[in-house]
Amino acid sequence: MIPARARRLRAPLLLALALLLAVETVGGLTLFFARVAFGRSPGEALHVLGGALLTGVYAVYQAAHWRRVTPLRARLDYALGLLAAGSMALTLATGWLLALPWWRTRIVAHGAGPVPYAATESAVHNIGGMLVLTFALSHLGAVLFRDRAARGRTRADDEAPAGTPAGAE
Amino acid sequence: MSTVPAFSVFSAVSELFVTAGVLYVIRRNWTRRRFALPIFLGVALFEALVNVLYMAHRASEAAAPGAAHAIAPGMRLAFALHGMLSLLAYLVFVLLGVFAWQDQRAGRFFFRDRPALTWTFLAVWTVSIVSGETLFVVRYLV
Repeated sequence: MIPARARRLRAPLLLALALLLAVETVGGLTLFFARVAFGRSPGEALHVLGGALLTGVYAVYQAAHWRRVTPLRARLDYALGLLAAGSMALTLATGWLLALPWWRTRIVAHGAGPVPYAATESAVHNIGGMLVLTFALSHLGAVLFRDRAARGRTRADDEAPAGTPAGAE
Repeated sequence: MSTVPAFSVFSAVSELFVTAGVLYVIRRNWTRRRFALPIFLGVALFEALVNVLYMAHRASEAAAPGAAHAIAPGMRLAFALHGMLSLLAYLVFVLLGVFAWQDQRAGRFFFRDRPALTWTFLAVWTVSIVSGETLFVVRYLV
């Protein structure tokens, strides 16, 4: 991995984003499974709080990331990054919509019963979360693959005799 | 026997075509032929925007407070397990497809070079599809 990329992957903001994403993923999958299988919602409040924090951290990260990688290029890693960002926006937006009935039921009315989540918003939120994981991991994989390919080319150039283009016979 | 919603029938049938597309993409890579990018994109988009979204919607309906007593507990558990597996299978398919496409551009064949990973993925995908079709039959046709 190139040193600048290795440094960026260890940046506190990205680590915080990764940690929040991991917490929200585990929490979201647990909620999805428990709600369907047992009609329960373990860790619901933590998931809402984590989502609110994630919105702020992601907004700061994405703004800085975009400033660094702009302008948009016709490359796979860019396309996957855009899809990841779009999925994230969709997931966070539907998350906030789902937080509304949660707020009314749990905080305003102090109710302990099931929160009346809308099925469509819930479904879009669930699939959006899965798409975030899919495209964010694909985006990272594509970037690291590009690094590896670039390193391979550099090594081939270094090993080629002077004046011979890499790969030429 | 319950009334079968039209979209459930469409989803159950289209899932088989999607599986054919997945097998086609992997088969071409396995036999060292050009990566079928249009088929991969078509399958990935259709699966996400139609089938997985529909599954998530049905799961959300099943989780709604009013539906809790309408569906047997065993069936609810099966819905949840199938839902989780479908999400996982889709995620892995897109990831592996992206890697396979990139490897192909570098002259390598991702699935052919990783038989254990490929067969494991195919096993997971098969369980996901078979469980979905079984749920459809048990819920609506038995």
